Amino acid sequence: MTSLTDRYVAATVRSLPETQRADVERELRGSIEDHVDARREAGMTAETAERDVLTELGDPAGLAARYSERPLYLIGPTNFLFYRRSLIALLAIIVPISAVGSALVQAFMGEAVGAVIASAVVTALSAAMHIGFWVTLVFAVLDWTGASKSGPLVRWSLDMLPEAPERRAHRGDTIASLVLLTLVLVFLAFQQFFPIAWNLDGPVREPVLDPALWSFWLPYLIATVIAEMVFTLVKHRAGGSTWPLAVVNVVIAFAAAVPVAVLALAGALYNPAFLAAFDWMQADGVGRVLAVGTAAVALGVASWDAIDGVVRAARAPRSARRRPLAR
Amino acid sequence: MSGVDETTAQHLQELRRGTVVLACLVTLERPGYGYALLESLADAGFAVDANTLYPLLRRLERQGLLESEWNTDDARPRKFYRTSPTGRELAALLRRDWDALHTAITDLIEGESS
Repeated sequence: MTSLTDRYVAATVRSLPETQRADVERELRGSIEDHVDARREAGMTAETAERDVLTELGDPAGLAARYSERPLYLIGPTNFLFYRRSLIALLAIIVPISAVGSALVQAFMGEAVGAVIASAVVTALSAAMHIGFWVTLVFAVLDWTGASKSGPLVRWSLDMLPEAPERRAHRGDTIASLVLLTLVLVFLAFQQFFPIAWNLDGPVREPVLDPALWSFWLPYLIATVIAEMVFTLVKHRAGGSTWPLAVVNVVIAFAAAVPVAVLALAGALYNPAFLAAFDWMQADGVGRVLAVGTAAVALGVASWDAIDGVVRAARAPRSARRRPLAR
Repeated sequence: MSGVDETTAQHLQELRRGTVVLACLVTLERPGYGYALLESLADAGFAVDANTLYPLLRRLERQGLLESEWNTDDARPRKFYRTSPTGRELAALLRRDWDALHTAITDLIEGESS
């Protein structure tokens, strides 16, 4: 027998249990010879016939899987849905927490903004890769060992039904957003002219935010807030979040939050005269905590807003995604 | 089956999938080996791929539905399979089910036309 058949048979039986190997090898070899003989009788050359037969039998690894009844997939349908849910839940919880945690540690240690962002991104990526790898491995082992044959790990029940898309809450969301954004605008203007804090000597008559920011950044922030208000109204008219709207939402959220965070970390956000009115502000490290805390809150709120928009777009019924709600 | 579109081919394949086991159990009432069985199934209109049939025979043997024996009388040793008593019982059950399905489908068609 030529080497092609030898190689094919060897490749097939290699992964089979020791006890079956010799028997399968003997039978498979005989069968291949039968097929080859039949083709030669039909007029083929020995070489063409052999190539033909082996090609038709296909990938030896696939044949071996059929012999040993091993699945040809990593995670089968039995546990796939549970796998997907676990993966999404773990990614959604652990990745942001670890990214924020690592960024906070870097920021408290006094690293530059770039280093803080880089550390958050690297931590998020490595957390995501670890979660993806280990969760997939666990589920793949379940399938590979045949543990999945006894049924899904978690049986689906009616309790797992997600809430229907909240259409009625939609109007309330819009109003709440507009009220909140209006309050932000009012605060930005109010803090410049009126006291919003008191110390032992009475009201502090200094703006909270650095007045130097009025040259560009405060008008810019006011513009982003107005953009967000317009966006909220557009979203309301569209009948909920859509993918393009979710993208716009992400852009607006970070357009506002990133400058605030950078200014805070650079120590340029708060009015030094305002901070000077409080003795405890002068203590070691308080300024740092304030800067990092402000940056973390700004980015956290923006991330929350961005993710919320994306999740709503993903959950929106298809019909609502394509056209606005009929009134 | 030339000229059959993909959807049709898929439905035909699904309908026939289970019948291969029954065809094997019935055919192997008389002992046979892999290649010969493949040929007689093909002649009877069951186009089974070799890479499906050979592992299937071993699975049925593991399940106790087939018995096997090496025949070394010929120049080429061959593994002969034969339907076991358990296999025969299963074949009878599958045939009853087959008949029941046939009757049910016929009833549906006649119920519709009347």
